[in-house]
Amino acid sequence: MATTTTDAVSIGQELPPLVKEIPQRKIDAYSGVRPNSIHSDEAWAKKKGFRAPLAQAMMSTAYVSELMTRFVGAGFVKGGTMSMAFIKPVLAADRLTVHGVVKHKQPENGRTRIVVEVWCENQHGDKTAVGTASGLID
Amino acid sequence: MEFPKLTYERLQVGEEFVSDTFLVTPEEIETYAFAVDDDHPWFREDSPFGGPVAHPTLLGNQALRLRHSRYTVPGGLHAKMEFEFLEPIRPGMRARSRGRVIDKYERRGKPYMVTEFTTEDETGTVLVRGRFTQMLFRD
Repeated sequence: MATTTTDAVSIGQELPPLVKEIPQRKIDAYSGVRPNSIHSDEAWAKKKGFRAPLAQAMMSTAYVSELMTRFVGAGFVKGGTMSMAFIKPVLAADRLTVHGVVKHKQPENGRTRIVVEVWCENQHGDKTAVGTASGLID
Repeated sequence: MEFPKLTYERLQVGEEFVSDTFLVTPEEIETYAFAVDDDHPWFREDSPFGGPVAHPTLLGNQALRLRHSRYTVPGGLHAKMEFEFLEPIRPGMRARSRGRVIDKYERRGKPYMVTEFTTEDETGTVLVRGRFTQMLFRD
């Protein structure tokens, strides 16, 4: 797995986006199947006002984690950070695209922290989650 | 043991929660990788940390479900999540999360709770720490 180096990262650089299909089966694998759950009980989700079960918001943090790990490597697994706000529900059968753009580079204990603006967007072009993530590179 | 229904009124700022321990197994790592469609080779092969590691967010749900250790939770929506990944999560670890409610508030008529958490291994080494905000459903 290639690791990004400081010199190879520039402000404004776009990370290779990820595309995630989210069938109910994946939500079930993530959250477990429970009655009276907006994630796995379609009738309950509708009762709570949603047209389909919701993907767990934490799934989007996992997608951002993948985006960052593939970009900065081990310095995200140890030393990474993430701050996300979930602004629109993600429903079963949605397709998310996960984006990142480098915002800052700052020195930290002899290494460089790469700060990335990240967001998830559904198949309609609506942002579902927004935030920042960072990781350390040499 | 009783598990009262979690309500905004019942919840106290300063309340603390502790999870049970969770054994990180290769199967758990594989299931998580399947669920989030992330087939990174470090999850099953060697990594820069020596041996396989888990997805950094693997234990997030342990923290998120802390309140279930004391309450029946009528559900809600996850509003915000902050993570610091301090140490890699490895197969064989027995992880436990501890949380403390640091705030509760109402916004646009909806109740929210804010929890700070740490997740540590069996030696007490902190693996992950962070903070999350959850909106509570009212019946």
